[in-house]
Amino acid sequence: MAATIEDTPTTTAPQRVEGRRRRPGVGPVLLTTLAWVVAIGFFFPVLWMVLTAFKSENAAYTDPPTLFFSPTLEQFRAVFDAGIGPYLANSVGATAISTALVLVLATPAAFALSLRPVEKTQDVLFFFISTKMLPVVAAIVPIYVVVNEIRALDNIWTLIVLYTAMNLPIAVWMMRSFFLEVPGELLEAASIDGASLGRTLREVVLPIISPGIFATGLICVIFAWNEFFFAVNLTAANAGTVPVFLVGFITSEGLYWARLSAAATLAALPVVLAGWFAQNKLVQGLSFGAVK
Amino acid sequence: MTATIERPSAPSGPPPASAGGTTTRSARAEGWVRRAPLLPALVFTIVVTQIPFLLTIYYSLQSWNLVRPGSQRFVWFQNYVGVFADSQFRGVALNTIIMTLGSVIIAVVLGLLLALLLNRHFIGRGVVRTLLVTPFLITPVAAALLWKTTLLDPTYGLINFVLSPFGASGTDWVSTYPLASVMAALVWQWTPFMMLLLLAGLQSQPGDQIEAARMDGAGAWAIFRELTLPHLRRFLELGIVLGAIYLVNTFDAVYMITQGGPGTASANLPFYIYQRAFLGFDIGQSAAMGVVVVIATIIVATFALRLVFRSFGAAGSES
Amino acid sequence: MAEVEFDQASRIYTPGAKPAVDKLSLTITDGELVVLVGPSGSGKSTALRMLAGLESIDAGSVRIDGRDVVDVSSKDRDIAMVFQNYALYPSKTVAENMAFPLKMRGLDKSERAAKVAEAAALLGLTDYLDRKPKALSGGQRQRVAMGRAIVREPRVFLMDEPLSNLDAKMRVQTRSQIASLQNRLAISTVYVTHDQVEAMTMGDRVAVLADGKLQQYATPSELYDRPVNAFVAGFIGSPAMNLLDLHREGEGVTLGGTDIPLSREVRDAAGSADTVTVGFRPEDLSIDSEGSGAGVKAVVDVVEELGSESYLYAHMAEDESTTLVVRGPGRTTVRYGDTIALRVDADAVHAFDAASGERLA
Repeated sequence: MAATIEDTPTTTAPQRVEGRRRRPGVGPVLLTTLAWVVAIGFFFPVLWMVLTAFKSENAAYTDPPTLFFSPTLEQFRAVFDAGIGPYLANSVGATAISTALVLVLATPAAFALSLRPVEKTQDVLFFFISTKMLPVVAAIVPIYVVVNEIRALDNIWTLIVLYTAMNLPIAVWMMRSFFLEVPGELLEAASIDGASLGRTLREVVLPIISPGIFATGLICVIFAWNEFFFAVNLTAANAGTVPVFLVGFITSEGLYWARLSAAATLAALPVVLAGWFAQNKLVQGLSFGAVK
Repeated sequence: MTATIERPSAPSGPPPASAGGTTTRSARAEGWVRRAPLLPALVFTIVVTQIPFLLTIYYSLQSWNLVRPGSQRFVWFQNYVGVFADSQFRGVALNTIIMTLGSVIIAVVLGLLLALLLNRHFIGRGVVRTLLVTPFLITPVAAALLWKTTLLDPTYGLINFVLSPFGASGTDWVSTYPLASVMAALVWQWTPFMMLLLLAGLQSQPGDQIEAARMDGAGAWAIFRELTLPHLRRFLELGIVLGAIYLVNTFDAVYMITQGGPGTASANLPFYIYQRAFLGFDIGQSAAMGVVVVIATIIVATFALRLVFRSFGAAGSES
Repeated sequence: MAEVEFDQASRIYTPGAKPAVDKLSLTITDGELVVLVGPSGSGKSTALRMLAGLESIDAGSVRIDGRDVVDVSSKDRDIAMVFQNYALYPSKTVAENMAFPLKMRGLDKSERAAKVAEAAALLGLTDYLDRKPKALSGGQRQRVAMGRAIVREPRVFLMDEPLSNLDAKMRVQTRSQIASLQNRLAISTVYVTHDQVEAMTMGDRVAVLADGKLQQYATPSELYDRPVNAFVAGFIGSPAMNLLDLHREGEGVTLGGTDIPLSREVRDAAGSADTVTVGFRPEDLSIDSEGSGAGVKAVVDVVEELGSESYLYAHMAEDESTTLVVRGPGRTTVRYGDTIALRVDADAVHAFDAASGERLA
């Protein structure tokens, strides 16, 4: 029996039942197994990281690597002792505030580019993307100099401003695609029903796009939390974020793997959880809303 | 269809508005009312992104090294000459191209295979997808650290452990194959993104087309070649373009895994410029490099964006 | 209740191009249900939207109760509209959807609830008041859209192809419901459709539009019996009227070897024209199924049996490219390929100018 590879580019409607009743072939089982194997393989480094975080240093540093061990929380404690606390707080602060700012700025902008479009909508959209395409590294020098001049080095607000600018284009694009999904008829109906623009937005449009706002916020959180380049160059002990804290592990603490894994787990955890929540929206945001 | 909201005494025909040329006073006032919500975001972006860039150009025309204060002076295009004469710069540029294109292409191919695997119903499909997506979500710095230590380490790393039956134990990947090590981490992180993108593409393919093709006698490979791949073309283009945009700016992985080394064997442009600026304190030279990179990016990006816009229609959304 | 008047109203998208609505003039009297019907692109929806305030009025005027509404925004026109896709607010329940216009007008909660309950009872929606639109069937959503419109007791009802998204059976059912509702509420209604059956059954008067221009505005029977041009003649009635360009001969025209006499008025109006467009409806032909009698010989291509009647599509023996439709009895014995002889009832013939399509007397 030929392996039913036919199933691979299969019909896409998820609810449809395969019409033919065939002998359960080997093919599907093989493919499922393959999928599982690959998934576990891809995921394994992450799993390893989390496991190692619970090991004692001796158990982490063995050849061959140990899979069974008695878990301990001492690494996490050590990480906090090493001072990850303030860095976590900074990350939370920078992420939360910049995301809030982004949403506040991007939503009206997206509105002005979709439902009541300005003349140069295409140009404006192009401008927004273009800011993301230019290498950040080209601007870091003057940013450093300027920030230094105004004595804002190692200041969390520097990061907040930069993160807002970094995420605005994506947020505008995403929010715009959500606005465009609102059927025109709904707005006309509201208008005929006697609603002014403001009320239409509040009562009709907002409930429809609220999942979109949430998704956009999630994307901004992910990018802001993971950001490294600005953080490492413009901050130090006061305003450092979690990625900056991790830098310490490649130099002085290079041999403390378990603790490193604990730190990395803590660093990655919020975003992983956020991303697990909203996988599709992730792609939508990253591709500027082009993929529905 | 783009939705528009009707306003009294303003022409509101088919969107977008103000297609006509008349600029009566009320029409112009209307224009400003429409622009107002856009302005805060626009102004903010312009200030924060364009001013630094202009300053970069300004600095690039000077010879300015922070280590030698007071030596700042205009040298116009000398820095640029220096950039092109710098053999390391050329090597780093080549690294960047290899790193970017290589990682993107491998990630796209792997992503396609994974997407094909996931494009059917099986037990635990949701879990599998979640597992596969995770590498993309890990903070890049943490991921890089992970690769450098627990995976690539010569003695205790997992890779060598897994490969030891094949006799490849003891290899110090980071020193011997620095570029490949960085690329491994990048591919690991970006394949899930490509997979999600291409999966969305596969799932947007109308089922009737495939059924019709089957009735016409097409086998699985023929269907893939004639129907699926063309349909996926714009998703592939989008994935490659976006992946390239994000990856050309990679910094975290290079910093954490190899620090650009040995020498500049695994440095890419962002890292190299960073080195010049923050470790070498040569503001003028690094600024000039930055400008060169920007110009190159603009050229490439203009082609790329035209591709993206063409694939998805000017409105940025497509049904 | 209100009188609606279109006075030379036009909608011109691009100056210099053909108008989407070209100098439309018609009046809808208080309580009347007027149907705007025509093929797609005829301007009927545009005209409705001009009345609604969703399209601007580029020339002429539109008046509601004598007041020119060109500068009045939709929300102040005191109109209600039922959209083709219903346009229900997805995040609100049925009750909230219906109460929305009242909320916009500032009615308080108890007043809103009372009016909503009243409208819901009228439309049979009382059991669904707490559901959201996505939990409703197409027919139910359509009723909610109507409920939202009637709850306000506006001056004018506007309906934009409200039945086109329903399946055939629901359409017939809902059609009569709308008609009886409108009779009961006696609110002036403008109803747009592309389906001439809907137009004929529902309208007090029907306006036929084509290419943005009004063709004829009259009661259904007048449209049927005295179409003012060839377009209206061919548009109204299903199956469509047989319209043929026939050569003049003697005191009439010839068709397949037979003569069809034309009246004196028609001949005078035709003047010296060589050809006249002649129309006769399927029921105005009689069949001699033996095929041997006098009449136009034709070969049957399709037999449509409808139970109460049948329709035969036949091409002329003499001229294969000309097809005639004739109505036959419910249990016809005619079969595919049979030759039949058809006779035209000369009294029921319509004559139009071959060049302009205008009715000749």
